[in-house]
Amino acid sequence: MAESSVTTRVALAGNPNSGKTSLFNALTGAHQHVGNYAGVTVEKRQGRYSHNGRRHDVLDLPGTYSLSSYTPEERIAQDELLDRGHDVVVVVVDSTALKRSLVLLAQLMQTGATCVLCLNMADEARHAGQQLDRQLLSKLLGVPVVETVGHRGQGVDRLREAIASVAHRQPGPSRVVLGERLDRAIAAVGLHLVGSEIPDEHHPWVATKLLLADPLLEERVRRGPGGEDAIGEAARQRRSIEAEVARDIALYVMECYYGFVDGLLRQTLVQPPREDARALSDRIDSVLAHRALGLPVFLAAMYAIFWLTFTAGEIPMRWIESGFAALGSSVAGLWPVGSSSPLRSLLVDGVIAGVGGVVVFLPNIVLLFMCLALLEDTGYMARAAFLMDRVMHRFGLHGRSFVPMITGFGCSVPGIMATRTLEHEHDRLATMLVLPLMSCGARLTIWMLLIPAFFAPRWRAPVLWSIYLAGIVLALLLALLLRRTVLKGEDAPFVMELPPYRLPTARAVVVKMTERSWLYLRKAGTVILAISILMWLITSYPKAPGGGAASLERSVAGRVGRAMEPALGPLGLDWKVGTALIGAFAAKEVFVAQLGIIYSVGETDTDRGAERLRQKLRRDYTPLSAMSLMLFLLIATPCMATLAVTRRESGSWRWALLQIGGLTLLGYGVALVFYQTGRLLVG
Amino acid sequence: MSADALLTSALEDYLETIYELVRDQKFARVKDIARARQVRAGSVTPAMKRLADLGLIRYVQREYIDLTPEGEVEARRVYARHQLMTRFFGQILGVEHKAAEADACAMEHSLSAEGMDRLTRLFEFLDLCPEGKSLLDRFHQCPLVHGGQTTDCTACSWAGRDDQCQHLKRRSDVAVSELKPGQRGRVTHVNGTGAIRQRMLDMGILPNVVVEVERHAPAGDPIWIKLQGFQLSLRRKEAEAVLVAAL
Repeated sequence: MAESSVTTRVALAGNPNSGKTSLFNALTGAHQHVGNYAGVTVEKRQGRYSHNGRRHDVLDLPGTYSLSSYTPEERIAQDELLDRGHDVVVVVVDSTALKRSLVLLAQLMQTGATCVLCLNMADEARHAGQQLDRQLLSKLLGVPVVETVGHRGQGVDRLREAIASVAHRQPGPSRVVLGERLDRAIAAVGLHLVGSEIPDEHHPWVATKLLLADPLLEERVRRGPGGEDAIGEAARQRRSIEAEVARDIALYVMECYYGFVDGLLRQTLVQPPREDARALSDRIDSVLAHRALGLPVFLAAMYAIFWLTFTAGEIPMRWIESGFAALGSSVAGLWPVGSSSPLRSLLVDGVIAGVGGVVVFLPNIVLLFMCLALLEDTGYMARAAFLMDRVMHRFGLHGRSFVPMITGFGCSVPGIMATRTLEHEHDRLATMLVLPLMSCGARLTIWMLLIPAFFAPRWRAPVLWSIYLAGIVLALLLALLLRRTVLKGEDAPFVMELPPYRLPTARAVVVKMTERSWLYLRKAGTVILAISILMWLITSYPKAPGGGAASLERSVAGRVGRAMEPALGPLGLDWKVGTALIGAFAAKEVFVAQLGIIYSVGETDTDRGAERLRQKLRRDYTPLSAMSLMLFLLIATPCMATLAVTRRESGSWRWALLQIGGLTLLGYGVALVFYQTGRLLVG
Repeated sequence: MSADALLTSALEDYLETIYELVRDQKFARVKDIARARQVRAGSVTPAMKRLADLGLIRYVQREYIDLTPEGEVEARRVYARHQLMTRFFGQILGVEHKAAEADACAMEHSLSAEGMDRLTRLFEFLDLCPEGKSLLDRFHQCPLVHGGQTTDCTACSWAGRDDQCQHLKRRSDVAVSELKPGQRGRVTHVNGTGAIRQRMLDMGILPNVVVEVERHAPAGDPIWIKLQGFQLSLRRKEAEAVLVAAL
């Protein structure tokens, strides 16, 4: 059947934790695209599906509790609804938390949107014994009411039907009744909006916001004809109402919304949910969220996750390693032995080695994402945030920052991606920017090389531990600094919902896991590929006869290393390290390989090779300079994957560049101070 | 010559009445004045003679009275003063209209010039100062004004403003942050400002809602609460803004 040329534009709105995203996935399947809203860290999720030959574009709005104008998510949702004319707005509601969600529905109805009420998580509501007269509710509201179980994909067809049935209906009068006094005030303000550029159906909403003295909407209205009058009328009505009801307008309006919803539920909620519906979940919480036990249990869980990802990931990692090695040899084999063809070198040493070096971590990454998805979907993540918020908040972060930061100990990339769970932009950015300070797995290969080279056995563990600790302390301090300067702003509300524990569906976990792993892989395919080639270029050319160390020295990288030497000197370092550092930008493991080349050691990943390298290093550096180097490596050099992911998650280059610039400066400063003070003390 | 010292209260009242009548009808007749002042026509005539002697009124024809320019000035002054006093009792103090009029009449002649001046300035202040309106509204809403007790400030909406008035807490009110795990309370006030307050309202933390403290995190912050069938965590600072009557 040929597709009709008319596209229906659908928006999904709803509270966070209402299962909106699962529903979105169920509606759109593979046909979706995730990006960012311009310049902010808020995720923009779009997709489409076909129904009865008609194309439907779906936008998953950020989860909001109401349409106020305080957080970026709410502002974006409001803008989308007022400016970008969606044909249908599906309000996704957690059926077990009806009251609150219906307030959002009421606000959406006031904007004149054509709504569909989607009672999601209907299975849980039924299980709790809740009975709702859907037909009556639908009649009272004038909108279709559909039951769904989003994460199982149930009810999705009914939802599509409902959407199609209202799609191109003319907006009718709002059925939202907020009480005589408030409705009168809204009408009075609305009068002044007639003839302005604001469409008629938006008037009730805009009038309500003007009564609430919302600065964003006042700004919007002021620009048009009659704006000042409307604002003035709103001020008069507000004063009058506040005098009459003896409370402030924000409280009064909210009470009116709840009053409306209470009225609806009184008529339609035949049987409320049982009080003890959450009993099992609560019992579990008595242990997991226990004041004394909660934290140790959580730390143990995080440890278990790491242990799982690194041991279970070991075997697939080996496969991939040998796979790429085999690929390398077979491609190399296309040329005669000993050939110095640039193309061969490009493919084998540049592309395959470079990309392979990042892809090899894929098993770890996939497992890590799976564990994170499980944490999130069961609801345990919220408990972790609850336990950790006090500490995190001290440093300008949020309780939810803890898990992404811990993840960073494995790899910064999934850690940064995990900051999506943070609701507020400043928290998200602060966490993202300092995350690379969490000493990642790749850096561990460097510590494993350097520490045994310079420190006696009994010092090795403490030195390693102090590096990790330094990273953590610096991360927290830097976050604090950011929140006082660049990311200054009112504290975002912590008021956080604690949903009941839920058993995640395999489907939901797998979807999350693959989506994020695919993103990680795409980084390897695009940015890292480009940079691998670049790295190969600057470390291979210009060549010197005989290859090896001399060649590296003559290359662009070598020259840059030499040029950096004066700057590195005060840190106790030299050009050799400088050159290796350039390679480290691609991936940390490359640092060790590059050092190997410079010192003509060859195979650095065998124990013997590593030992030989250590001996040579001992000749050139002191423990002090080694420590300085490690500090610099810890702080200053986020790898290119990190940069790419920061750019993507933050929505602009500005933050990614700030991250790399700031961290490099900080790293330089810390290493400098450390080395010079050390010199003074030790001599 | 200022007519001030020579004008008795009674004459001022007559002048005021004439002013109002003339404003509405162009001329005032003795019997209109008598009716307006609820006196006999006979009492009006001597007063008119006196006013005419003072040069404040003149007879246009035998019966019709009009104000002279000087009379106009005086009448305006008296009239304005009366309006001011009525406003004072009516709008500022909140006295019911008829009583306000009566009180105004009683007081207007006994104020000194300075007293008048000061009162006028008070009005100007309340009108012009941005805080003035708010002050007035606050006064009008205060239960004290409506016959309540000083400690009965539950209905005052200003408990929710920036300048949180500690003394407005009912003796039995506590903040949610002070409740121990397992304790319940019925919300009386939702203080705080900005995004945080709005978020709490959005979540359904409203007066008369019952909340129960489930537990505290290590170090007592954040706090886990139950309400309306779902569960939330609040930072201690946020919980301090929610006042409840302990149950």
